[in-house]
Amino acid sequence: MSTTRKYWKGLEELNETPSFVQGRDQEFPQSMSVDEFLADENLKETSTARRDFLKFLGFSVAAATVAACESPVTKAIPYVVKPENVTPGMPTWYASTYYDGTSYASILVKTREGRPIYIKGNKDFGITKGSANPQIIASVLPIYDSARLAGARKGNNAASWSTVDGDITAKLKEITAKKGKVVLVSNTIISPSTNAAIAKLKAKVNGGDETGTSFEHIQYDAVSYAGIRNANKESFGTDFIPDYDFSKAKTIVSVGADFLSTWLLATEYTPQWSSRRNPDGEWMSKHFQFESVLSITGSNADYRGMVKPSEEANVLAYLLNKFGVKTAATTTLSKQAQDVADLAYESLKKSKGESIVVAGSNNTAVQILTNKLNAVLGTYGKTINTSNTVNLFASNDEALNTFVTNTIAGKAPAAVIFYGVNPVYTLANGEAFGKALAKVDLTISLAGYTDETASKCKFICPDHHALEAWNDFNPKKNHFAIAQPTIRPLFETSAAQESFLVWAGAAKRGGKDSSVVYDLIKTTWSADNIKATSKYADFETFWNKAIHDSCIDVAVENTPSVFNDAALAKVAGKLPKVAALEVVLYRKAGIGVGAQANNPWLQELPDPVSKVTWDNYITMNPTEMGTTYATTFDQENGLNLASVKVGNKELTLPVYPSPGQAPGTVGIALGYGRGANDENIGNAAFQTKEYGGHATDENGKRLPIGKNAFVFTSFENGTLSYSANGSITKVDGIYPIAATQIHHTVMGRHSIVRETTLDIYSSKDKEAYNPAHMLETHHGPEHISKFDLWEAHPVEKIGHRWGMTIDLSSCIGCGSCLVACQSENNVPVVGKDEVRRGREMHWLRIDRYYASDEEATVGTRENKETFDYGKAEVAAQNPKVVHMPMMCQHCNHASCETVCPVAATNHSNEGLNQMAYNRCIGTRYCANNCPYKVRRFNWFNYPSYKKFTQVNPAQDDLGRMVLNPDVTVRTRGVMEKCSFCVQKIQAGKLVAKKEARPVVDGDVTTACAEVCPTNAITVGDWNDIKSMVRKNADDKRSYQALEEVGVKPNVWYQVKVRNEKNADLEKLQVVKESAHHGEKKDNKAHH
Amino acid sequence: MFKSINKWCVAALTFLFFAGSFNANAQGEGLFKAKCATCHQPHKNGTGPKLFEVRKKWADGGAKEGSIYQWVNNWQAAAASDPYAQTVSTWAASAMQAFPELKKEEIDAIFDYVDSTPDPAAAADGKDGAVDGVATTEETEEGSFSWVWILLGVIFAVIIGAVSGVRRQLKAALSDSKDADEQSYMQEFKTWAWKNKIYVGIATLVLVMSLIVSLVLSLGDIGVVEDYQPSQPIEFPHDIHTGVNGIDCKYCHNSVTKSKSAGLPSVNVCMNCHKQVNGRTPAQQEKIKAVYAAAGWSTEGAGSYTGHTKPIKWNKVHVLPDHVYFNHSQHVVVGGVDCKQCHGDMTKQKETARVVPVGELNKIEGNIPLTRPTLTMGWCIECHGEKAIQEGPLDGKKDGYYDEIHKRLLNNDKSLYNKYLEDGKVTVKELGGWECAKCHY
Repeated sequence: MSTTRKYWKGLEELNETPSFVQGRDQEFPQSMSVDEFLADENLKETSTARRDFLKFLGFSVAAATVAACESPVTKAIPYVVKPENVTPGMPTWYASTYYDGTSYASILVKTREGRPIYIKGNKDFGITKGSANPQIIASVLPIYDSARLAGARKGNNAASWSTVDGDITAKLKEITAKKGKVVLVSNTIISPSTNAAIAKLKAKVNGGDETGTSFEHIQYDAVSYAGIRNANKESFGTDFIPDYDFSKAKTIVSVGADFLSTWLLATEYTPQWSSRRNPDGEWMSKHFQFESVLSITGSNADYRGMVKPSEEANVLAYLLNKFGVKTAATTTLSKQAQDVADLAYESLKKSKGESIVVAGSNNTAVQILTNKLNAVLGTYGKTINTSNTVNLFASNDEALNTFVTNTIAGKAPAAVIFYGVNPVYTLANGEAFGKALAKVDLTISLAGYTDETASKCKFICPDHHALEAWNDFNPKKNHFAIAQPTIRPLFETSAAQESFLVWAGAAKRGGKDSSVVYDLIKTTWSADNIKATSKYADFETFWNKAIHDSCIDVAVENTPSVFNDAALAKVAGKLPKVAALEVVLYRKAGIGVGAQANNPWLQELPDPVSKVTWDNYITMNPTEMGTTYATTFDQENGLNLASVKVGNKELTLPVYPSPGQAPGTVGIALGYGRGANDENIGNAAFQTKEYGGHATDENGKRLPIGKNAFVFTSFENGTLSYSANGSITKVDGIYPIAATQIHHTVMGRHSIVRETTLDIYSSKDKEAYNPAHMLETHHGPEHISKFDLWEAHPVEKIGHRWGMTIDLSSCIGCGSCLVACQSENNVPVVGKDEVRRGREMHWLRIDRYYASDEEATVGTRENKETFDYGKAEVAAQNPKVVHMPMMCQHCNHASCETVCPVAATNHSNEGLNQMAYNRCIGTRYCANNCPYKVRRFNWFNYPSYKKFTQVNPAQDDLGRMVLNPDVTVRTRGVMEKCSFCVQKIQAGKLVAKKEARPVVDGDVTTACAEVCPTNAITVGDWNDIKSMVRKNADDKRSYQALEEVGVKPNVWYQVKVRNEKNADLEKLQVVKESAHHGEKKDNKAHH
Repeated sequence: MFKSINKWCVAALTFLFFAGSFNANAQGEGLFKAKCATCHQPHKNGTGPKLFEVRKKWADGGAKEGSIYQWVNNWQAAAASDPYAQTVSTWAASAMQAFPELKKEEIDAIFDYVDSTPDPAAAADGKDGAVDGVATTEETEEGSFSWVWILLGVIFAVIIGAVSGVRRQLKAALSDSKDADEQSYMQEFKTWAWKNKIYVGIATLVLVMSLIVSLVLSLGDIGVVEDYQPSQPIEFPHDIHTGVNGIDCKYCHNSVTKSKSAGLPSVNVCMNCHKQVNGRTPAQQEKIKAVYAAAGWSTEGAGSYTGHTKPIKWNKVHVLPDHVYFNHSQHVVVGGVDCKQCHGDMTKQKETARVVPVGELNKIEGNIPLTRPTLTMGWCIECHGEKAIQEGPLDGKKDGYYDEIHKRLLNNDKSLYNKYLEDGKVTVKELGGWECAKCHY
């Protein structure tokens, strides 16, 4: 039988008739021109009648509809060889470590079918105790960014790794022969293995000469802590950052250090701090904060003093003076700050040796004063361990400054390698430096994007994304950690360590499955200093344990250092200068130094304090804005613009009213204005237009989001300074801004936020600070729960009742829960324009409430008789702040459920307010009826509509890979809201069911609860009387938001307790005969 | 073609007859099956080489006299003394077991038995080919049969049309001559309908109602995929694997107890058996070759992996919409539901898998009878309304999870519990199995 068959379409083809041959050879015949064709008289006769047309139309629509009913064929492709630890449909978790130069945390990475889709802190191992900031949680998204470099680049073109390596090696050889200088500029490297690789390259460049100086490694952090290191060198003889322990400090004084969000190892300090904020604990710490811009830490302090950056030294000098130490710094303070300082002194005196003083300034003199104060207080060896030093933030500002000035002056080294840094963006003179780079013989960047610096380099050898790479870390002397890959590299990238080794001639490129770095780390870890502990008999056991836990501890003795008073002589004349207007450069929890400016989750994360998304701006105290910059924030009309000038540099930004901002200062967030020259750093880093697409300037360049405030940094007194003296002038024009919260205070609504002091809490009855809601009836007052319109849902009887408690005392408002929720539940990003319309989709929001002058504290009425709603709307100059996470309360008598015409939202007998998307017809009655305003409507088809192409990661094939396959992607026209992570509840229940045991605490949790760095959120089965959530819900601090409306939520809040003296509040919070009387009068007084 | 098949059959039968008459050595067969069959097959290489006429092979290969018996007793000793045995020892990486207890006569008996077995590939080749041929013919006949009906229908329609046309023309001619009003069909029909307006009215009503009813009913069929049976890249016969060979469903669909998806077996699972089993007939061998291609398995020599794998792209049979969450382990492990409740009796599924219609499912013993079409939501929740949660105090079995749930019911609301127990069971529905967020989130 013949195996080759001939197929033909017709007899013409078979016989190859002349007409067929002509038609085949000429697919588009040119014999008849268009004009000729249209001029054909016969065409008129063939015209289709209108009715015929309608018939055809009708038929084709019907035909298309019928055809569309056919379900498409779905493919199922099993593995050829299934990896042992992957079960399709089940998540695989990897213990790993996150470090990007500014944030560090031990993390757990969730992968599904080999794709990392979710990151949370590792609560079992590591120094960060499960804490992770929003940037760490969101870092799973950029791995799927299509703007990432897909391979090595030479000049502006893609090149093979062998070409690039060949060129670089040849060039290095040439430079070495000429004894030229090679400079490696990197962020602080805390990886022992990376250092080993760099040492190999160094040896190669130095030609094997140990003492050679041809190779220089400069560590440079965008935000430097060189001041602390320098001060410690002066004070104790060695340059180090000590190990702080906030859990041992009864009094915490922070002078400008935002240690709950951005300062040093904030991920380690947050759980330490929160462990001593429990009013029922052994003791509760007292926290004093002195700062210029209201930070997360300041908003959670018990007392907050407003100081200018130049006054930070004064606070320390004032306190030192009180302890009898005279210094060169002046002790003058504003009345407000001095009052707080007096209280701080009292508290410090009482808790000597059990206190801690930290300062955020990068000024060496300020840090010397801090050291002296700590020495006076006897904190060294107790709350501050000077032996177990922190290896992070080893920025050498001086060396960098010399290198940069030399390069700009044309005295550049022969070769510069950039790793983990972006100096063209983060340097004040970055632009000039970028231009000067063109003259350097060999410039190499290891960045994953063609960022500001990489685009100026001759070669780009992109490093893996952190989730694709092996790495190791030594964050503190006593702690070693490992980062392991969770996915095979998506692109043709190569680990930086491998690049160093290849250029040193010590390794060969291994491609995607390279084991070069793995072997390197294994070799490094087999060295005695890491393998120290004798617990493990052999290396393999030790190694497997280290990878499983992601980290190990080694013992370091704590020998306190002695302060050398000679250091105090270095203070005079080295302190920040005073000015009428001081500009403070701060970092936001989401954007930080801008490394993830292309991450839409972080751009849309509302700033924890200002609640503004997608922008940076000038923060100014509203009392100072006066009539010049308008007095209220108005999203509808936009903000006034102003120009801040420092030296010869100027930035024009909108002015945002920021209560708590120190008078005489303005704040500008760093990390914005990335991609100013239209560098390809990712779609979400640029401004978008109202109907989609990027906004561009007249040259067609995309416009960056916000402005780069790094231009205001300066090199002063041997370190980089993040505050500057400048001036501000009004600029004509209005700037639209997108904020998720447009009211500032809670206006004395005690039923939403409840707050008290530790004294009241520990001395008075529950009725004083957490009164029950009673209604007056003809037979006396009755509790609100007695009144019902409906039959109760039988949630207390059958099976489970899922509940949540949120401790307002612990919640610091960091925003981690919000990003985790977005990541877990496929919540779309909507972009600035939609946020401005109030259409953000976050299932969970964190309400931030300021206190007004009318309130003794947030949620009270100082004087019930004269309480004025109009005045209460305005936040105080230096207000108290409460952060309140707000999501669907899963009411048992939900007002949304009764109004849904199609029963798309209804109640489960486990207490969940469930949402059936496929039933929803989008009337939005439910959202209208929700007292908590937590329902979100899908106004658009976010996964496909062009308006969201730039911002929504779910719009391209790569970005879609981050979606959680267990959660539906909602379509246009349906309502959605927090589901209590029902997918996690079901999965947790299933684990218990399969093991044939009751559900216990820990089986069921939500994304927000599991990432909370302070464990403020507890989730569990309320019907289980042994559960933590039941214990918390029955606690005397527990109340329900808007309990008086009678919707019976399944979420309880716990009264915030501040460790402060508040005489006004003590007068208010007393047990009364019937607390509701006062409330009634108020209602009458209201308008 | 047929001639050759006949020839093959005759040859095979003759061979069988002769082989059978010579095969009197029951001892050899018993020993072979007990000692050798784990690794050796008479006509095919497996873990060990084929044994058909192995004595001849050794003799031809230049082995020493008797060295083959020594090999069986202790192959290492044989390999040490005989160069031919030495070469045989390199045949595969896996070492042969030693059988020192076997006497020379017994070994001979084994070899006699092996030599007397017919080659099934040669014998079955012709037979199977013939069967295939018949099947194809049948199919063609069936196909042409239905075509006949359609053709007949068309012819009848044409005839009716033609006849009525003739009739009309005749009538027109007739009316022409009578000079009566020329009436069109429509007018004729209208007059007729007016005359019989009651009957026409009732008939129209019935017609319209039935149209509406059938439309509404057909709307219910949207998304119903009963009997869906997509073609597959490999015609996988479930009946042979699970029916004839008795392989447990969970051997291949091994994530069914762990995960939401039962899991299609990865090709390495197929290869666990198919390294040895490469088909007895050319048709089977052809199909199994597709598995080898996917696994990157080369059959040359003792077989080896080439590393050139090609994943098999199956067409999904049971496709649930994206907004439905279904978890196999929940049903199989916790609910104790048998696979056949939803998938039918796969031991009898000759062709590739399909969505078994509910009628067929109901016929299977032990299944909860349901009415709604398979894989529709109605079908799911109908079962949830029927299926009892067996564990708990009800039947004295111990299950920590459901014990706790039952206890809470008993302690909190006895009347509700009693209401549940009216039908003697607590169903999935009564514990929330009909709630939206159990499957949709």
